[in-house]
Amino acid sequence: MKMEEMPLSSPDNTKLEALMHDIYSELVEDACLGLCFEVHRAVKQGYFFLGEPDQESMKEFEIVDQPGVDIFGQVFNQWKNKECECPNCNRLIAASRFAPHLEKCLGMGRNSSRIASRRLARNNMSKSESDQEDNDDLNDNDWSYGAEKKAKKRRSDKVF
Amino acid sequence: MFPRFTFNITHITGALTPWCRFTVFAVFFPSDLNTMNKEARLKATINQKLTETGERERLKELLRAKLTECGWKDQMKAQCKEVIKEKGLEHVTVEDLVVEITPKGRALVPDSVKKELLQRIRAFLTQHAS
Repeated sequence: MKMEEMPLSSPDNTKLEALMHDIYSELVEDACLGLCFEVHRAVKQGYFFLGEPDQESMKEFEIVDQPGVDIFGQVFNQWKNKECECPNCNRLIAASRFAPHLEKCLGMGRNSSRIASRRLARNNMSKSESDQEDNDDLNDNDWSYGAEKKAKKRRSDKVF
Repeated sequence: MFPRFTFNITHITGALTPWCRFTVFAVFFPSDLNTMNKEARLKATINQKLTETGERERLKELLRAKLTECGWKDQMKAQCKEVIKEKGLEHVTVEDLVVEITPKGRALVPDSVKKELLQRIRAFLTQHAS
């Protein structure tokens, strides 16, 4: 029978419709039963309510909406004005300057090796120098980190 | 789940509880087909074809996917929660859930899902009904 010959005689059509609805009902009932079994197993195995938030954790992580405090309840500038003692040189350093200071102090980080090698080079050069004034001049430049001064130093080194 | 026939299989022994059907594969004894009338024969043949061609499984999967997609499953789970609260977490049985959920579930299937499924079944029928 071809699909184009749709107009069947009425009794056959109604029978097919009835059969169609029967099959549909079976499928729906199957889906419902499946769900019941799934839920029942989840209940008995104890994971049915697992995905839902409980009251305690809701209270604990509630959003804080007070002035001067972030949404977790932490103060923003808490550590701004504090001072920390450097474990290496035992000086009191401001908190915001602490990390760079540690870098230099411990001899780690990118710049500290460069500065150290520069200092070494200068000391070697200045050892061979008898001119005290020049040494002072060079030593003054030690504590500056500007790029122009580096270039100046190198030029002055080359001259010597 | 399990494929089922909707007519009684009298020559297979087993307990038939109100909501439980037996798993039976699509096998007919010749005597059965003779005693069935035309309508029952058509139904049996169609069911057999549904299982054999795998269309029944496809329809089941389609229905399950559509029902989850449209939120029916979540709705039904909420209903289940009510039943659980009513009967108590420790004592709720499958029977409790089935009795409460199945009628609601049948009623709450969205029209679009129902239409789509009926359409596919109709297409199958017109293809395989001789």
